[in-house]
Amino acid sequence: MEILRAENLGKIYGKGEAKVEALKKVSFSLERGEFTVVTGESGSGKSTLLNCLGALDAPTSGKVYVDGQDLFAMREEERTIFRRRHIGFIFQAFQLVPELDVEQNIVFPLLLDYRKPDTEALEEILEVLGLKDRRRHLPGQLSGGQQQRVAIGRALITKPKMVLADEPTGNLDSKNSQDVMELLMRASRHYQQTILMITHNMNLAASADRVLRVADGILTDLGGKADEKLS
Amino acid sequence: MKSYLKLVPISARVHRKQNRMCIFCIVLAVFLITVIFGMADMFIRSQMIEARERYGNWHVILKNVDEETAALICARPEVRTSSWYGVLNYSGQEDYTLLSPRDMAGVEEKGSVSGGEPMDLEENAADRKVVICGAEESFLREIMEDEIQEGVFPRSEREVLVTQNASALSGLRIGDRIGIRTPDKETYPFVISGFMKNTSKIMEDDTYGVFLSSEGFHLLSPSLENESASVRDDVLYLQFSGDRRIREIIDGIKAQYGLSVEQIGENTALLGLMGQSGEAFMTRIYGAAALLFFLVMLAGILMITSSLNSNVAARTEFYGMLRCIGATPEQVIRLVRKEALYWCRTAIPLGVAAGVAVIWALCGILRLLGPAYFGKMPVFGLSVPGILVGVLAGIGTVLLAAQTPARRASRVSPLAVVSGNAGGLKPVRPWAYARSFKVDTALGIHHARASRKNFLLMTGSFALSIMLFLSFSVTVDFMNHALTPMRPWAEDLSVISPDPAHPIEESLVSALKENPAVKRVYGRKVASGTPAVTGGTKGTIDLVSYEEHQFEWAKKYLLEGSVKEVFGQTGTGLAVSGPQGGIRAGDVILVQGSQGMEEIRIVGVVTECPFNGTAEGGTVICSEETFDNLTGETKSGYTVVDIQLTREASEKDVQEIRQMAGPQAVFSDSRMGNNNVRGSFYSFGLFIYGFLVVIALIAVFNIVNSIAMSVSSRKTQYGIFRAVGLGSGQLWRMVAAEAATYAVSGGVCGCTLGLWLNRLLFQSLVTSRWGEPWQAPLWELSVILVMMALSVVLAVSGPVRKIRDMPVVDVLGGK
Repeated sequence: MEILRAENLGKIYGKGEAKVEALKKVSFSLERGEFTVVTGESGSGKSTLLNCLGALDAPTSGKVYVDGQDLFAMREEERTIFRRRHIGFIFQAFQLVPELDVEQNIVFPLLLDYRKPDTEALEEILEVLGLKDRRRHLPGQLSGGQQQRVAIGRALITKPKMVLADEPTGNLDSKNSQDVMELLMRASRHYQQTILMITHNMNLAASADRVLRVADGILTDLGGKADEKLS
Repeated sequence: MKSYLKLVPISARVHRKQNRMCIFCIVLAVFLITVIFGMADMFIRSQMIEARERYGNWHVILKNVDEETAALICARPEVRTSSWYGVLNYSGQEDYTLLSPRDMAGVEEKGSVSGGEPMDLEENAADRKVVICGAEESFLREIMEDEIQEGVFPRSEREVLVTQNASALSGLRIGDRIGIRTPDKETYPFVISGFMKNTSKIMEDDTYGVFLSSEGFHLLSPSLENESASVRDDVLYLQFSGDRRIREIIDGIKAQYGLSVEQIGENTALLGLMGQSGEAFMTRIYGAAALLFFLVMLAGILMITSSLNSNVAARTEFYGMLRCIGATPEQVIRLVRKEALYWCRTAIPLGVAAGVAVIWALCGILRLLGPAYFGKMPVFGLSVPGILVGVLAGIGTVLLAAQTPARRASRVSPLAVVSGNAGGLKPVRPWAYARSFKVDTALGIHHARASRKNFLLMTGSFALSIMLFLSFSVTVDFMNHALTPMRPWAEDLSVISPDPAHPIEESLVSALKENPAVKRVYGRKVASGTPAVTGGTKGTIDLVSYEEHQFEWAKKYLLEGSVKEVFGQTGTGLAVSGPQGGIRAGDVILVQGSQGMEEIRIVGVVTECPFNGTAEGGTVICSEETFDNLTGETKSGYTVVDIQLTREASEKDVQEIRQMAGPQAVFSDSRMGNNNVRGSFYSFGLFIYGFLVVIALIAVFNIVNSIAMSVSSRKTQYGIFRAVGLGSGQLWRMVAAEAATYAVSGGVCGCTLGLWLNRLLFQSLVTSRWGEPWQAPLWELSVILVMMALSVVLAVSGPVRKIRDMPVVDVLGGK
């Protein structure tokens, strides 16, 4: 089942001589439960692609369909609510709210949706992420790996159809990077979620179902274990 | 780049947008202080000019002092000018009159003569009394400057200055020979040496004024000529040199010559403006002024501190990073201080320049609007105290406020920054989400309270705006009491019947109504001291009749009951509230009428009326019909006829009206006095309302800027929230909740302290002097609260719209 489809996606920054074409007619689709990795040099357009797919940024041209819905045909408020419910984000710099503790950071997207967090689901996520004994800690009191685990928990709590991760291991050492990858994979299997992750680490890319490469704004599908669905 | 401190201008260029708001805040604070202090300075300067013109450029008068003591005092080095001054017939009641040149034709040149007739200065004019003043030349040269309009001070005892009203009426010229006839029918001839300005008193009393030399003055009181000055009741006017130590000098003279309090009179208006008055009431005014200016300073300081504090977060990270690359704590402190001073370089001149420009504009507007009152005000005057206080408060506060981020940054561990935990450098208070609010609202409230210091500063800043407004608003009450504003019934001219048996005829009123120079004419019938029974007590009342205009005006001063009923129904009346009057609406009083005791039902109470009654039972106002029924008046006519003139009315028109009034009636011209009161009221009012407008505008700017800064410092966080699904409406609610938290806490503190200050100042400035009890200033409170609410809405809308319109990635990236 197709979860994400990008059609002729283009993004241009600046004007005249300063004009930069970050994405050039990018088209691809992702199936449900697919774990995909996007690689590419710095400045190749990976993050731009992710931001456009997640409706954090508006493309200059083209369309993005998530679960069959055209993201940019929606009104701003509608799109925000859609994103809140169906797309999870994980950032390289964690982007946690410093004054919220671990548990509050995780349930925050639910609170924004005026939903009562499901205690069982929360306990399960805390258990899976190994953060049960850190639930009352503030981000400033956690290590980098722990903070990124909180960010993963926050991305998963709404049970989104798709999780977009922008170099989630970029700020972590190899041990923590491996832990984060395992967590993402387990989550993907457990919740049947589509994951699109940007990484520079080709070792990590090796364990993905599919690898996409972005160079000069052009996307190339490098294939991968496409048929070997995570289950 | 030669020194690490050169980083400051580079950093300023990069963070131009972020710094702009901080600089704006400093500009605002410096502007506020400069304008308020500068306006006060300009106001005092203009008022001093006016006070010197109106009351004279003297500091004290000494009464009942002998010539020897006076000579000793005048010889003191601190006395710049002195003059003896005496006055005869000040009240205009005694029978001193002027004789015209024609009347004087048969009178010998020197000495006094018996007989002679009063001066017929105009056809059909009543014989008008004359007020006689005598002083030394220095009095009109240095103490009452610009009083001589034409001619010179009397050079001999036989020369005289005459007020303009006498010359205008009879065509007197310099060199004409006139006479002054005393009550004992002695006539003294004088030659006119010049003309003086009229005074409001002689115009109201319908008298002439003459000014003689001291020698000439003593000629008119020969019985006292050989007596000492103290017996003659002359007073000694003194003007001291310098403006600073006058209080000390007065106290010194008092102590050295053993003068009593009654022997020394001060020029309260002038000394008060110079800050040298020793009067208890003036001391209270100084106290109130000091409190108000302290509040202004505090508001400025708090605004700057608050804005710098909002900037702390981002700068702490930046300086922490410098620590990482090897900056010592001392270097960081130096850098922070330099950055703060770098802002001052732009902000303080801007604030001062804006302040000076506003003061110039205000002075220009004042001169344009009222050249008669503000003509001597400098348009491009510089207020040194205003500028100095603005600059000092700006630099001092900025340096003090910069200490905190500097110290905090210098204490940052380089390791914390290197580990990428820059966010952890900021102390955060955990969020306790109580479900009484929606999550966005709750977080907004949390944001407001997250940093205790910031919360206190913002609350203080909001509160001070309210406190300033409420405190300054007392000056409006003060003004309304100190300078009795023109009542709607204030007359330009009055025709008064000197004898109750001969009232002013109604035909005069009808004739005046037809006169194009007359805007309005209205009469009152007065029965003073009418026997009456009020509340079971026998006594007297003053019964006054009103016509339609006066009833209409009375509505504005109605305390209880109705005015309409008394106008339309006979046997009813209005009571005037006052110390004597315990009469309430609904009471029935018995009044001695022509047919015996008759009832008057009181249907309303008013606070003011144009008649100053003295009867113990107070004043009762009724319709003309009721008045006539009660008094059995058959001869229709008024005791007083008041006239309001049109703007175009000329002096000729006034003379015409005077002639219409006839020689039997007393004619009073209040235009000059009204103009003086109006001038003071408008000038004071313009400054007071100017202060209030500046304070209100600063409050709005401060709120808008503070919220914008707060939102700007949390931009990344809003980006995170938006990334995880915060909607536009939720963002608005979050920021609005933060702003509302400051507004509510500031509002509560501001209202509590503001009302307390309002009460304190009111009691000190108004209650202590006029006895009016303090009432909560609900109108002023509503104005400032509504304005704050609107400011909050304005403050929230701008930044929220900006964040909403930015792509989330830009907000995240802090662009």
